[in-house]
Amino acid sequence: MTITIHVKCAQDNWEVPIEATATIAELKKAIAGVSSVPEDAQRLIYSGKILKDPETIESYKIQDGHSIHMVKSGLHKKSAGSAAAPAAAGAPAATPAAPSMAAGQTGGFNPLNDLTSARYAGYLGMPSASTFGPDGGINSAPDQEELLHMMENPVVQSQMNEMLSNPQMIDFMIQSNPQLQALGPQAREMLQSPMFRQMLTNPDMIRQSMQFANMMNGGAPGGAAAAPGAAQGGFPAPGETTEEAAEHAAADANTSTNTNTNAAAANPFAALFNPAVNPFGAMGQGQNAGANANTPAFNPALWASMLGNAGAAPAPAAPDNRPPEERYETQLRQLNDMGFFEFDRNVAALRRSGGSVQGALDALLNGDV
Amino acid sequence: MSSKRISKELRDIERDPPTSCSAGPVGDDLYHWQASIMGPPDSPYAGGVFFLTIHFPTDYPFKPPKIAFTTKIYHPNINANGNICLDILKDQWSPALTLSKVLLSICSLLTDANPDDPLVPEIANIYKTDRPKYEATAREWTKKYAV
Repeated sequence: MTITIHVKCAQDNWEVPIEATATIAELKKAIAGVSSVPEDAQRLIYSGKILKDPETIESYKIQDGHSIHMVKSGLHKKSAGSAAAPAAAGAPAATPAAPSMAAGQTGGFNPLNDLTSARYAGYLGMPSASTFGPDGGINSAPDQEELLHMMENPVVQSQMNEMLSNPQMIDFMIQSNPQLQALGPQAREMLQSPMFRQMLTNPDMIRQSMQFANMMNGGAPGGAAAAPGAAQGGFPAPGETTEEAAEHAAADANTSTNTNTNAAAANPFAALFNPAVNPFGAMGQGQNAGANANTPAFNPALWASMLGNAGAAPAPAAPDNRPPEERYETQLRQLNDMGFFEFDRNVAALRRSGGSVQGALDALLNGDV
Repeated sequence: MSSKRISKELRDIERDPPTSCSAGPVGDDLYHWQASIMGPPDSPYAGGVFFLTIHFPTDYPFKPPKIAFTTKIYHPNINANGNICLDILKDQWSPALTLSKVLLSICSLLTDANPDDPLVPEIANIYKTDRPKYEATAREWTKKYAV
């Protein structure tokens, strides 16, 4: 007995006449004839079940006039190019879209164009509330915990690896960062080295570097306990006077030319400059040995901005040296609008809250400033 | 009463199922169904086929059917056990609703999640603050579990 089965696939609808005793494999062959969807790309669904090839139509109780669904599988596994071929056979109207999309991509490489694509969505960090922090991103460093947590995700790690093995991406990173540009060919070498890649993808290394960045900014070291160097950078070492410690810290903070190897040994960042441990160590040492004594041995901003580019979070803000009326312009205006006119108190409150109007309000109302 | 109504729904759904859903009894038990939903093309679930299990209560249609996903899915309103947070499956159920309509509502829930009434707050948070990340994860799960 021949029955007619309706096959639904998205907007399409085909009628397929077939023997009720036929197998699903035969049904797929018949469907391939009318729909130009190859048999192995078909998934047929009836009554909430996926139909299996060796079974018969009867065994699924599919009757005359019943509808089954078809899902094309493997579509997204094909690239745009190969997908265009079957489309040309089946629906000529669909083909013009593909070349124009391809043409759009031939422009200069910029991964930011693809921000919405799945490929980059994971690590190019779209702005999120937590990324910007409580003050709306004016003055906050990225949430380190978030970043670390993300880096421990193997998916992100593999994406990072993929990204760093893409020469175009490296070009882009160098292009977009003047400090890397200044480094010239060295930058490319460094970015391509497996050690560097390991550093960017290894959560432990990142944790280390964040502590380093923290010390550089003179901020509260996030994981002070974990870094023996942090204690040294933050507090005067035994026997050292406060003044000396301050000097020491100042010298570290601007990182200009630690040419003195003794200093390097006493330096809390010694571990970072140790070539055996850290790829940057070799770089720093090499430059120190080089003729140019004024080249910063290691630039935290560079590291930070690379981390920021690659690590899905804005770089830790460099110390802001603008005068407070400029730096907190909008917040001060808001506070004025709310009836707080004392400039000094407003600035002090904003400083305390890191630029957050809400926090400043709390401080002002509590009389903390 | 309930079996008559379920049989009628079965006949309708066999003849003219909704575009992207399919459902039918698992075996001879009319009260235990399974369904499949095809991921809507304009959602990160596109290309995936998601299976659900359906239990009709004996006082159907006066009580809503119990529906849960059996395929893992990354969605703010669907938890790891496949439970679905959808008003018409709870307090907003009406005997005038049919299983097809409920399945279509679940389809539209896949396209437009409701992060303000989440079942999985973590996913809802990502959905609200980092939509591309949510979409990427949803796509990945779809590829992994539903293709």
